[in-house]
Amino acid sequence: MRQDGPRKARFTTSSGREVKRVYGPADVADIDVATEIGEPGHAPYTRGSTENGYRDGFWGWEFYAGFGSGADANARYRYLIEQGATGGVSIALDLPTQLGLDADHPLARREVGRVGVCINTLEDADAIFSGIDLATVGTIFSTANAIAPVMLAWISLVAERRGVDLSAFQLTLQNDPLKEYAARGTQILPVRPAVELACDVIAHCAEQGLPWYPVSVSGSHMKQAGASCAEEAAFTLANALAYVETLRARGIPVERFVDRMELHFSTDMDFFEEVAKYRVVRRVWSELLEERYGVTGVAPRIHAVASGLPLTAQQPLNNVVRITMEVLAHVFGGVVQARTACYDEALAIPTEEAVKLSLRTNQIIAHETGVADTVDPLGGSYFVERLTRDMHDEVRSILSTVDDLGGAIPAIESGYVAGRLAEGAYRQQRETESGERVVVGVNRYVEPEDDAVPVFKVEPAWADAQRERLAAFRERRDGAAVERALEDVRRAAETGASSVVPVREAVRVGATIGEICDAWREVHGEWQATTARSA
Amino acid sequence: MAGDDGEVGMSEHEALRVLVAKPGLDGHDRGAQVIARALTDAGMEVIYTGIRQTPEMIVAAAIEEDVDCVGLSMLSGGHVEHTREVVDGLRAAGAEDIRVFIGGIIPREDVPELEAMGVAGIFGPGSSIEEIVASIRGTPAPR
Repeated sequence: MRQDGPRKARFTTSSGREVKRVYGPADVADIDVATEIGEPGHAPYTRGSTENGYRDGFWGWEFYAGFGSGADANARYRYLIEQGATGGVSIALDLPTQLGLDADHPLARREVGRVGVCINTLEDADAIFSGIDLATVGTIFSTANAIAPVMLAWISLVAERRGVDLSAFQLTLQNDPLKEYAARGTQILPVRPAVELACDVIAHCAEQGLPWYPVSVSGSHMKQAGASCAEEAAFTLANALAYVETLRARGIPVERFVDRMELHFSTDMDFFEEVAKYRVVRRVWSELLEERYGVTGVAPRIHAVASGLPLTAQQPLNNVVRITMEVLAHVFGGVVQARTACYDEALAIPTEEAVKLSLRTNQIIAHETGVADTVDPLGGSYFVERLTRDMHDEVRSILSTVDDLGGAIPAIESGYVAGRLAEGAYRQQRETESGERVVVGVNRYVEPEDDAVPVFKVEPAWADAQRERLAAFRERRDGAAVERALEDVRRAAETGASSVVPVREAVRVGATIGEICDAWREVHGEWQATTARSA
Repeated sequence: MAGDDGEVGMSEHEALRVLVAKPGLDGHDRGAQVIARALTDAGMEVIYTGIRQTPEMIVAAAIEEDVDCVGLSMLSGGHVEHTREVVDGLRAAGAEDIRVFIGGIIPREDVPELEAMGVAGIFGPGSSIEEIVASIRGTPAPR
């Protein structure tokens, strides 16, 4: 409705950046088009990683999924492939697996197969890929972080068993333990040994010349824990630099592995900030690699997730619209691989119907709207270019602060990063409660009863079935060979040798994830939660 | 751990003392941290356990810290069992006067069972700090 004067005293983006009434040529007069914006597929990659963008193929349509056993999850993966998902097999792991606990561990009791698939053994991993052709399925992805060397072993051995050459398929491992301590919380070991394990995986894939992304440095969880777009970008790039520095300290030249490092972010509702963020990330990563290591010509690979964070439990069908806008921001941001949340994710893990609708959302945007036919269609917008430049400067400034703290590892160990995220989360909550941040169905346009939508059910029988499978597996294997192999895992951890080969051998002879992670825990100790008190 | 006499769990403090805890293996504690901060700003004394707590650890901490109430934050689906164990554990320790509040992803169909356990408040996504604070303050004084 029209009213006298503006709707608000001050217009800002979600991170508090002032937005002017209108932008014009004077707002971009200080931006050098050639060096700051450039051409798609060329440094500084502001306009995109490749020259042709989506003309050579759409972004990968990826759906993160997993529950129950390998066979249960396999049914969902096959369903998605049948429906036209191009983003491969994106494996959500249950919490015990992510934390290196077997299904029969007391702490795993209630969590087996609940928020992801349970994998304890090579047999479990193999079941995930039943009837799936590794070579043609697209990217195989997993949020293996603290356990990445074990996931690398599982996938490599599954491929070997099937006679598939390792360079004939695509694998992306999240393998980014640093953000676990700041935001996501599935760390097993103290920070530094965890970073070394992650770097073992990156170094191994580089040595073998595998066409994989053995690390996907992730801002998305920090964003969901409260980071602004600029903080998400800056802390992610700071973490990426920490892995680069760790690998350099091993004497591995940066250009040997850096083009195999993926960057992963999440997209929320502030459309223009999100679009600008993806342009900024490419530019800043390109600048950092050139300034610090003299490496040029590395096109950043951006993996994004249409975030579940803005999705509401209230009026859940509204989330379809939110997801549509997030996917559109991915397209204008030029991401290469994109995972999409589902409308029922504030209620439970998604149903088959919900995930199909998210896939169709991508397909409609890709095929029907024409938005993917020209590269970086918002490039040159006075507003978007101003926002890109301002966010770039903010990201560089946050990176300088992290540098002053000694880099990402000290910044995380000291609690600096987690503290900034908590501040952001609290500010966002306050803004929602005051009504300054409108969330439809939550603080405006509220309805007394929400629409009932079908909700996915976990099966209580999964955990018992997994424990039985595990017990039978332990009976069948050569216990002495497993012991010897675990001793080698332990020795590698003690001496600082790469974990990759001993872990693969342990997995091959039948060691479980819990046994391998126990070997690491024995050597390095275990991460401990700390209690916080109000002042 | 505190003694097992009738005084256990009775607050002698002016400000309400609250233990915010995250049972289970899930590490997403944005909600728990926001609540801990908000209750602090509302004048309560808050102890946040950090992630990955067992019900036994939470009961022990609640008694040792002599809190008036416990808030459990749960997103990954174990809320019914975790809550039952905390409520039963407090009762077994003679600390049934410590009220239990829960928040997170709590499907509607589980609410009757949780209420039957004696849970004092259930807060799903979109709950406001204001209503959570009011609910905790509305708890009859333990004395």
